[in-house]
Amino acid sequence: MATQEPDDKLISTEVSADETVRNERPDETVLAAKDLDVYYGEDRAIDDVSIEIPENKVTALIGPSGCGKSTFLRCINRMNDQIDVCRVDGDVVFKGKNVYDGDVDPVALRRKIGMVFQKPNPFPKSIRENVTYGLEVQGKPATEGDVERALRGAALYEEVHDKLDTSGLDLSGGQQQRLCIARAIAPDPEVILMDEPTSALDPVAASKIEDLIDTLVEEYTVIIVTHNMQQAARISDKTAVFLTGGELVEFDDTATIFENPADSRVEDYITGKFG
Amino acid sequence: MPRENYQKRLDGLRRDVVVMGEFVRERYDTAIEAAETGDDDLAREVIEGDHEINDRYLELEDECTELLALQQPVAGDLRLVTASFKISTDLERVGDLATNLAGYGGPDGGFHPAVDFRNLAVDAGDMVADAVAAYEMGDPEACRTVAARDDDLDERCRRASEAVVRDLLEADRARDARNGTAEGKPDRLAAALDDVSRSLLAIRDVERVGDHAVNIAARALYMVENDDELIY
Repeated sequence: MATQEPDDKLISTEVSADETVRNERPDETVLAAKDLDVYYGEDRAIDDVSIEIPENKVTALIGPSGCGKSTFLRCINRMNDQIDVCRVDGDVVFKGKNVYDGDVDPVALRRKIGMVFQKPNPFPKSIRENVTYGLEVQGKPATEGDVERALRGAALYEEVHDKLDTSGLDLSGGQQQRLCIARAIAPDPEVILMDEPTSALDPVAASKIEDLIDTLVEEYTVIIVTHNMQQAARISDKTAVFLTGGELVEFDDTATIFENPADSRVEDYITGKFG
Repeated sequence: MPRENYQKRLDGLRRDVVVMGEFVRERYDTAIEAAETGDDDLAREVIEGDHEINDRYLELEDECTELLALQQPVAGDLRLVTASFKISTDLERVGDLATNLAGYGGPDGGFHPAVDFRNLAVDAGDMVADAVAAYEMGDPEACRTVAARDDDLDERCRRASEAVVRDLLEADRARDARNGTAEGKPDRLAAALDDVSRSLLAIRDVERVGDHAVNIAARALYMVENDDELIY
C-alpha cells in the first residue's frame, strides 16, 4: 500500500474548494481495511478482512446473501454507526487516515465517500435541490455550474436541463438513480459506494448506470456491491468475493476471478455450484 | 446441486466432443485403409460421409454458442466451453484431411516405397485419440505427452518426404545416364510423378493431423489448468 499523509479534510468540516488533483495513479491504494471485524451484537458479520482498494478503479464486492459484503461497504463511510448493536474492530484507512479514529467527523467522511443505494431515494424536492443539498449542508452556496457539472457527471443533464425545478420524484426509476448519483458526486467525493444500484431497474436503465460507472471511474473510485455476477464481470476492474461468515475469500483482477479463480470455493460460487 | 440442467448440458457437451472424436477416428482409420488398398468403396464412404462430421461440428458449435449466450459460463465452465468449441473445429479439420487421404490412394493403393505410410498415419491418429482422451479425463500430463510426440512425427514426416524426393532425383539422374531412355516410356514417368505427388501430399496431411492433435491437447490443457503453454 502506498504511504499517504492523513487527510485533514476528514477532521475539519470545512472542505477546500480546491479540486483534488486526480492525476493518473492507477495502482495507488485509496482505501484499505486492515484486520477488520464487524459484529452485530454477538454475531460476527465480517471476519478479519484485509483488502486494499485501488484508486480510480471499479471494485466489485460479490458473494451470497448474508456474506457481509453490504456490511463491509457500510463500514467504509461509517454508515454502520447508525446501528446501535454494530461494533467494528480493526482499521479502515482512507487516504492514510483511519476513518474510525475519534477525531473523524462521519458527516465530513461521507462527503468524501458518497453512497448510492439499491432503491433510488431522491428527496421529495426539485431536481436542482436534490443536487445542491450536499453542498448546502456544508454551508456552500451551490451555483448553476455546480448543478450542471453534477448532472452531466451522472449523464442526466441532457434529459432534465429544462425541468430542474420539477420534483425529483417525477423522474423514471433509472433517472432517479442517476439523480442520486448526481447528488453523491456534487460534493466532489473521492469514493462512491454503490449498494446494488441497478437491482431495482429495468435492463435499459441498468445499462445506462453501468455505462455511467465506466465514466465515473475516470474521476472517482467506485466500490459496488452486486448480486449480478455478469454485471461485476462487465464493469469492474477488481473483484472481491465474500462467502458466508463474512470471510473475504479472494480478491484479484476481475478477469482472473472469472476466468481462473485460485480458490475452489470461489469457482463453485461463480459457476453456480455453491449452495 | 444448483443449476442442475446447466451442469447436465456441460457434461453433455464434453461427452459429445468425445463421441465426435471417436467418430472422426473411425473415419480416419477407414481413410488409411482406403489409401493403402485403393479400395474405391472405402474411399467413397469417407468422402461422402464427411458431411456427417460437419453436421456434428455444427451441432457442437450451436451448443457452445447457446451455452455462452444463455448460461454465461465463467471460470472452469467457460474454459470447458471455449476449449470444446476449438477442439470440435480441429476434429472437423481432421475429418477433412481424412477425405484427402482417402483420395490419395490411387488406382492400386499404396504409396512410394520410401514412405511407411501406415505407421505414420496410425501414429498421428493415435495422437488425436489420446488428445481427446486427455480432454475427456482432464489429464494435463497426457496433454503434454501428446504435444511432445509431435516432434517425433514431424521428424519422421520430414525424413519420409526427403526420401521420396531423393528417390525421384536419383531416378532422374539414372534416366539421364541411360541417355533419356525413359523418354520412350512416358507412362512410367507419369506414374512415378503421380506416386511421388500422392506420397508427398499424404505425408503433409498426416503431419497436419498431428498438428491438430497438438491443438486439441493444448486446448484441453488450457481447460484443465488455465495454462496456454501449448497454444501457439
